[in-house]
Amino acid sequence: MTSVSKILYIVLMVLIATANLSAQDVFAEQFNYAKRLYEEEKYFDAVTEFKRLLFFYEGDNYSFESNLLIGLSYKEAAKFSEAIQHFTLAELNSSTEYEVFESRIEIIKVNILRRTTQRAFALLDSLENDVRFRKNSEEINYWRGWAYIFSDDWKKAASYFSKLENCHQLSQICDSLDNDLYNPQLVKFLSIVPGAGQFYTGEYVSGLISIGWNVLWGYLTINAFMEDRVFDGLMVGTLLWWRFYSGNIQNAEKFAIEKNLKMTNLALRYLQNDYSGKKP
Amino acid sequence: MRTILTIIFLIPLPVFSQSLAFDFHSPENIKKFADYLFCEGDYLRAIEQYDFLNQNLDNDTTEFKVMLGYSELGLFQKSNEIFKGVNHKSIFYPDAYLLSLKNKLLIEPQMIKDTSISSLDSFQLKSFCRLTTISMLYDDEFNIPEEKFISPFDEDERNSVLAFYDYKVEPKYKSPALAGVLSAIIPGSGKMYVSEWGDGITALVVTSLFAFLAYDNFNADHNTRAWIFTGLGAFFYAGNIYGSVASAQIFNARIDFEFNDGLKFFLKQRNYFLPEYDFCK
Repeated sequence: MTSVSKILYIVLMVLIATANLSAQDVFAEQFNYAKRLYEEEKYFDAVTEFKRLLFFYEGDNYSFESNLLIGLSYKEAAKFSEAIQHFTLAELNSSTEYEVFESRIEIIKVNILRRTTQRAFALLDSLENDVRFRKNSEEINYWRGWAYIFSDDWKKAASYFSKLENCHQLSQICDSLDNDLYNPQLVKFLSIVPGAGQFYTGEYVSGLISIGWNVLWGYLTINAFMEDRVFDGLMVGTLLWWRFYSGNIQNAEKFAIEKNLKMTNLALRYLQNDYSGKKP
Repeated sequence: MRTILTIIFLIPLPVFSQSLAFDFHSPENIKKFADYLFCEGDYLRAIEQYDFLNQNLDNDTTEFKVMLGYSELGLFQKSNEIFKGVNHKSIFYPDAYLLSLKNKLLIEPQMIKDTSISSLDSFQLKSFCRLTTISMLYDDEFNIPEEKFISPFDEDERNSVLAFYDYKVEPKYKSPALAGVLSAIIPGSGKMYVSEWGDGITALVVTSLFAFLAYDNFNADHNTRAWIFTGLGAFFYAGNIYGSVASAQIFNARIDFEFNDGLKFFLKQRNYFLPEYDFCK
């Protein structure tokens, strides 16, 4: 009889254990289902199913990964505030240093993408100063480089990428772009000679027109002074010549800024579509 | 032995039934989840869940929440489409009716011509009166005595409402034609008429200066310079007339914009005189 009781006891235990496992399976299934939706790029549905899981599941087993994947889904849909909210929740539910790091990097990436780069730099600084993440300094530098790209500081970006590897592809791209960009201050300086700034930026027609106007009003101003028509000279000089002269400087600077913007946009488009490494 | 066997078979059953029976998509669980999403402000997902639910459960609360959700999402037309299906006997019908009026105003700001319904309680009736009265401000043929217009509003609202009333009755428009004529007579005066004092004085000085320089150069037989100053003077003179007309038009457009924007802000602040529905207590 004792042995029968033992057997029955074991059977009972096995059944209870199976029941618990089965209960677990329902949530695991839901998690896998939501994850599959995420992998199939059905982000709206993925968020719904992850939220459903988090709402009904009372434990913490899925909190980190679900919140992280919700954040990633929102990020894909360009809902950056919601993404950050869920990455923060993921960080709060993280159980390892790796998970904390992963969540924070995701927050940094979103800040880079939405160009709140000052916040990204502050978060990168906090990661860098945290002793737990000393071993991750390379990755921190990598994302710092990206933050500089989105801050339009290609030179600094190149310097951070070159810290990772001498001829890092991103470092070369940033360096090359930085060399191609026009210096607006130099353009303004060159424009002391009317039209020179426009010539430097490749706007030859505009440069010639600028020279023409300045020659005309300059001639009339000098001519008025030579004929002792001082008031005429002052008026033509201030209202016309000076207007066109300062306009020539502003015009050249505008060209430099526009061309720089065009080049940086091209570079960003290249990085978005053709660069195969990690991107924010 | 029989007792023991019974226990063996019975004990796991409730555990099994709990675990295996847990259905994320049972109507009760969908409703719980939808309510949670609604309270989180995730209206789009909440509506999706309520839609699943409505196929299994006819519930006027969820119907009203869907209507409210669409309105919160800015899908006012969709919200009013839901209203068409709300049962007249539903407890939420008066609220849904008021919400539909709010949606109408948000779809296109215009006078609400709908009539009151008998199921409105006194508070709802007051909301209805205030909403329909304020909507009259959007009517082009606005003609209502001041006393009558402000009567449905509370004491603390009356000053603001009165300001809108005055704005509507006597809009402080400037005449573009008058601005142009003034600038033609005295350069810059049209700009001063529309309160652009800096531009007005500049236009007066510059046009006068060019006119003087042209006159003086013609007198001194410096014809090239004289024609350049004449051309510039004429350009500034004509430009100033055109600019004065445009400034008056911009001034009037700003008056209209400030009126509409202010009214919209006033209504939004007061939730269009509708109560705040709290389903999340």
